[in-house]
Amino acid sequence: MNVAVNTPIYLDYLSTTPVDLRVVEVMTRCLSMDGNFGNPASRSHVFGWKAEEAVENARMQLADLISADPREIVWTSGATESDNLAIKGVAHFYQKKGKHIVTSKIEHKAVLDACRQLEREGYEVTYLEPNTHGVTTPEMIASALRDDTILVSIMHANNEIGTVNDIAAIGEITRAAGVIFHVDAAQSAGKVEIDVDAMKVDLLSMSAHKMYGPKGIGALYVRRKPRVRIEAQVHGGGHERGMRSGTLPTHQIAGMGEAARIAKEEMVEEASRLTALRERFWAGVSGMPEVFINGDAEQRLPGALNVSFAYVEGESLLMSLKDLAISSGSACTSASLEPSYVLRALGLNDEMAHSSLRFSFGRFTTEAEVDYAVEQVERAVNKLREISPLWDMHQDGIDLSTIEWAAH
Amino acid sequence: MAYSDKVLDHYENPRNVGKLDDNDEHVGTGMVGAPACGDVMRLQIKVNDAGIIEDAKFKTYGCGSAIASSSLLTEWVKGKNLDEAAAIKNTQIAQELSLPPVKIHCSVLAEDAIKAAVKNYRDKRD
Repeated sequence: MNVAVNTPIYLDYLSTTPVDLRVVEVMTRCLSMDGNFGNPASRSHVFGWKAEEAVENARMQLADLISADPREIVWTSGATESDNLAIKGVAHFYQKKGKHIVTSKIEHKAVLDACRQLEREGYEVTYLEPNTHGVTTPEMIASALRDDTILVSIMHANNEIGTVNDIAAIGEITRAAGVIFHVDAAQSAGKVEIDVDAMKVDLLSMSAHKMYGPKGIGALYVRRKPRVRIEAQVHGGGHERGMRSGTLPTHQIAGMGEAARIAKEEMVEEASRLTALRERFWAGVSGMPEVFINGDAEQRLPGALNVSFAYVEGESLLMSLKDLAISSGSACTSASLEPSYVLRALGLNDEMAHSSLRFSFGRFTTEAEVDYAVEQVERAVNKLREISPLWDMHQDGIDLSTIEWAAH
Repeated sequence: MAYSDKVLDHYENPRNVGKLDDNDEHVGTGMVGAPACGDVMRLQIKVNDAGIIEDAKFKTYGCGSAIASSSLLTEWVKGKNLDEAAAIKNTQIAQELSLPPVKIHCSVLAEDAIKAAVKNYRDKRD
């Protein structure tokens, strides 16, 4: 190593990101007696007016990031709430028009579980299977639409494999069919360009903590023209034009606004830097045999890579990589023994799903850290293959799929 | 998930990793598990003419607990006769390694592996 690195190294930016210090600075100004602590809904004094000003400034910053009108931004607690508000909100409001929803099998659980709830309420949901590259195509959407379809909900970028869908092409189809289009952009907002008008998106979920803002704050973009209506899921003081009640957390909102401002300003440069880091990492680990990228190699987020290391198991690989903060597609990290539903939907067999790791690079990742990660991964994979009976058999030219395993 | 010190020790320094000649009539091989389930163990024993296990080797594809369970097992079976080895219970392995409930199946797999190896050896000799 030429450059010293501090361990553990954080390579899990798709999970969450550290708050940018510029964002921290803005947030801390909105908390205490000598700062902007007021309730943005207070109309009778300057504390409220100042807080409202900060909230509206942030609303403009976030709207700018996605080329929206500030009046189309609704603050929520995060992308999970945004997804729930969008999906249940549309379904409940338009139920007289139809009760069919189209989504994909590899959406985030916030989308899938909201859809499951609607199924229990009598709605019908089509779960599209993505292609083997992890992409849900416009053609798949077109062929799933019915006369009673009221909503299509498709993620922009996938949280496990980092693949990016062609949202603009899907938007053409849904707009022409008069179907409302919701996009879960939790992983893409601030990382790749989003223009809600050009993409013909009607609803878009965002989260601050995936773009170097704080946890606990997110937003839902709700289109005004043509107007999209949603039924509120949280009732109370009528904040956010009745779509989401609850006192607005000024510091959280100001933080998300600042995070959006920085993301927009630095997006092009950051994307090219992260793409280079990702390619550097792949160039390193793909020097080993039997190593595969999960999901499309090109159509993906700049800093995200999901890799299967055949013949070694993900959890034991993680154990060997304790200097790296990464996540595994293997089941063993969770309480269930099922491997990732996303990787299975891609058509990966269970053993390749068990052998996968997700690496995600971000604003504070350095080349030295990537090089160190490559070294560590190589060492761990080689060590575990040394003790893997499957690797032995592969070396002996045995096709593992011809063996009758005693499943347990 | 937190691993016990013993699991970590076996994982970092696995004992008796390797392969014995399957064609040797003194060698019994047990291979259990399935790649799709996330673990496969291959346990091999070498039995002398007195019926004592004088060597044991393993290779395991699986989580740290599966690797530790099979590593521990190779230590335990050496010096035992076949009946003693086949009598090893998964609960003993789980207890020794302080496996959490979600990892008990790793110790079950290890018990299956030694039983399969003993059976394979006996079938060969019959």
